Amino acid sequence: MLEAALMGEIPRERTGSFEQVLRQREAQVLRTAFRILGNWADAEDVAQEVFLRLHRHGLAFVNDAAAGGWLYRVTANLCFDRTRSKWPSQELTDMPSLERSAEGTVLLEEKKQRLMAALAQLPVKERAAVVLREIEGLSTAEVAEALGSSEVTVRSQISKAMVKLRGILTREDV
Amino acid sequence: MTEQEMREVFREMREEPVPADSLARVRMGVEQGVGKRRRWKFAVPLVAAGCIVAGFLFLRPTKVPVRTVEPAQIEIAKVQPPPEMPVRTAPRPRRVRPRLQQAKTVPVLIRIETEDPDVVILLVN
Repeated sequence: MLEAALMGEIPRERTGSFEQVLRQREAQVLRTAFRILGNWADAEDVAQEVFLRLHRHGLAFVNDAAAGGWLYRVTANLCFDRTRSKWPSQELTDMPSLERSAEGTVLLEEKKQRLMAALAQLPVKERAAVVLREIEGLSTAEVAEALGSSEVTVRSQISKAMVKLRGILTREDV
Repeated sequence: MTEQEMREVFREMREEPVPADSLARVRMGVEQGVGKRRRWKFAVPLVAAGCIVAGFLFLRPTKVPVRTVEPAQIEIAKVQPPPEMPVRTAPRPRRVRPRLQQAKTVPVLIRIETEDPDVVILLVN
């Protein structure tokens, strides 16, 4: 589900509005890029490029869902471009943990790290599908639109990815 | 880890805050990029307009000071008549007429004697 209330009616070419969108969406874009790419440096570059493209594109979207979809699509495409020229990063294990003191949080952090490490081993398209569907909480149709593929393909990618993740995590447990 | 657990962990990750320094870097990079673009956005039309104005100024037809050229005094050369030459008329070509060829006849003299011995008739051809 996209954050529907975030963008609203956005007049075209108004810097104030652009800055507003930047503040509202930067965390989402940066987080998505980080989940797909696995390191903050690349994710920051991608996020910057996404917003510069948004500025160039203008803010004339039909509605907020279209704007959100556009941002996810550009983010995913830029991540794919970046991973084409690079080996998958292993930095995914270095997730920031803001509250490591509490015992429950430590356990959760450990699970997150293991899961992200397993996620890093997936092909980038499957990883992106899982990130958008499971972490960002988009619908299958929205994920399909963002990745430029069909819903059937997305379902298949997510299904395969979940099986692979389970396999990786089970192997680690053993 | 079961699939259910994985989905729960994923859901937990959904609202995970991103590092503030990363966000700040992104924001700064975007602002720099936008500022650069904005500068270009103004610079390009300005330069284009400047070029057009310069082109207009340099290429427009300027008023060239007109030089007044005084007409030179025209001297009319007196044409002297050529010295009179003796007029010779060309001889008329003579038409050569073909001459009629006269039949070469031998003069015939016919003498007719009359009864009178004093009268003799001569016929000459």
